[in-house]
Amino acid sequence: MLWEKYKSTMKITVNEKCSSAYRKSDHMIQVKNLKKNYVIAKKEKGLGGAIKSLVKSEKQTIEAVKDISFQIAKGEIVAFLGPNGAGKSTTVKMMSGILTPTSGKIFINGKEPYQNRKEVVKDLGVVFGQRTQLNWDLRLGESFELLRHVYQIDKETYEQNLQVMDNILGISEIIDIPVRQLSLGQRMRGDLVAAMLHSPSVLFLDEPTIGLDVDGKYAIRKFIKEINRVKGTTVILTTHDLGDVQELCKRLIIINHGTIIEDGPLEELVERIAPYKDLVVEFYDEEAVEHPKAQLHKQKGNVAKYRFQKADITAAQLIQEISEKKSIKDVAIEEVTIDDIIRIAYHRE
Amino acid sequence: MCNGLAVNWRAFFYVYKTRIQKTLAYRFDVYGNIIWQCIVMFATAYFWKALYTGYDTVKGVQVEDMMTYTIVSSMMSLFFITFVEQRVIQSVEKGTVATDMLKPIPLFGIYFFEDLGYTTSLIVQNVIPIFIIGSIFIGVPVPHSTFMLLLFIPSVIMAYMINWLFAACFSTWAFTAINMNPMVQVKKHLIRLLSGCIIPMWFFPEWLSDILNVLPFVYIYQLPLDIYIGKYEMGILLQKMGIQALWLLVLWCLFVYLQKRVTKHVLVQGG
Repeated sequence: MLWEKYKSTMKITVNEKCSSAYRKSDHMIQVKNLKKNYVIAKKEKGLGGAIKSLVKSEKQTIEAVKDISFQIAKGEIVAFLGPNGAGKSTTVKMMSGILTPTSGKIFINGKEPYQNRKEVVKDLGVVFGQRTQLNWDLRLGESFELLRHVYQIDKETYEQNLQVMDNILGISEIIDIPVRQLSLGQRMRGDLVAAMLHSPSVLFLDEPTIGLDVDGKYAIRKFIKEINRVKGTTVILTTHDLGDVQELCKRLIIINHGTIIEDGPLEELVERIAPYKDLVVEFYDEEAVEHPKAQLHKQKGNVAKYRFQKADITAAQLIQEISEKKSIKDVAIEEVTIDDIIRIAYHRE
Repeated sequence: MCNGLAVNWRAFFYVYKTRIQKTLAYRFDVYGNIIWQCIVMFATAYFWKALYTGYDTVKGVQVEDMMTYTIVSSMMSLFFITFVEQRVIQSVEKGTVATDMLKPIPLFGIYFFEDLGYTTSLIVQNVIPIFIIGSIFIGVPVPHSTFMLLLFIPSVIMAYMINWLFAACFSTWAFTAINMNPMVQVKKHLIRLLSGCIIPMWFFPEWLSDILNVLPFVYIYQLPLDIYIGKYEMGILLQKMGIQALWLLVLWCLFVYLQKRVTKHVLVQGG
């Protein structure tokens, strides 16, 4: 029921945000026919193979990103989803100017990151969940101070930004601790602040909640939401945590085998992949009733599971109609979980 | 290095400053460096003393000059320690090169100022102690003349740059070769051997020293040391400094080319 309520609120925000985002014609990020090939040395099995590769190594080309095109408007929060090795991180790295694409074009605010990296990264904040940009040997505050000089942020703006982020993330408690002594959750908070100090208009987050506990995730999500609301920052995040997607993203892009397989609001994807619900009914005996608009999906003892299309009938009506035919002991409504939906999307070709 | 953007000196200065802070915080490797360099210095000094028994001068160099040569060369070895190769190797291996590249300042600019910060703290922590120890136990290394000392300083600065640029060019290899650590060791010892750091050029066979004089290595150690002990006439020394400046320019161009090429082909491992 909570899910129902959640979804209904979600629906409103989805529609609002999407329409306002799509109305603007100027796109913050444009990606056109992006491709990236890696050439790697092919390793053969066993000792013989190892010796052979010392003398002559065979090269193998791997297409990490095959042909990706999308556009992201200012102020959108977009999730990149996909199984490990799907090409998400490679795409993010190309967008942030670290990797040069094999072919295709990327425009961030009208500029190509691999052409003028230093120019583009000025307006970019990036957090890699698995590695830190903070200086391991220094106090957290000193890492921030270094970034202040690197991005040439004036003292006033810097203090102000730090203050705003302190309100959300409580960074002042940990600012004097050396980075090596921070817990993963604290370090991630530090990394987020570091990425946002220079008020970039685009924020890339590569698995920002990986390995964090419930409180940690909550803090990070709250921060992303706030930053997006207050500053209108465009956020792109890659994640395996679908909680992140549900809470934050108006739109998701699913990448698999280097191509985009889904692009749109989460709501739409759910509707398309799973337009049905299951109704589990417990009767007093082992005889289940039939219903024209619901299919008897499974039956075990006196428990029957009906699958019905959301478009055909509402759950309330179905319960009512079944109970009219036969007395019911208990009911439960089962929704396809978002994990299931994503899993179906990954495996569907 | 600039790529059309004004050089952000404040950021570099902050990198330099924090590197000094960091080095001062780790006392242990400081003593390690001093002990190691003392062993090398004393061994070399007694080796030369032993060879000089029965001779006043060898190849026009007096034993006192040889002692000066040894002490100053030891001081320079500490001054010339570079970390750029290790830094590049590690950041390529660990993938932190990605976060380095996300900053709107040149990658190698950060590495250079880190090394400069390290060198600065080493002057206080190592170079001066080695000077004092050498002065007490071997003899005060007096320069040939005040003018030679004044000439020695720019020459050492150019030598520092040649040494660093050479290391930086070498480090760009780490972007393509996976394990480079053994090569770094080979390079380090080859430079020490071929640059006159341990054995001065005039003890090498003529054909070999002729070859070496064309290569950049002798302009790292041999030339500044020649100036310090006043081995040659002023004219010859100035001419050699000209070649030193030329090598600096060549290595700079090579460095600019290599770092541009390499950052385009970064292969970030993992993730």
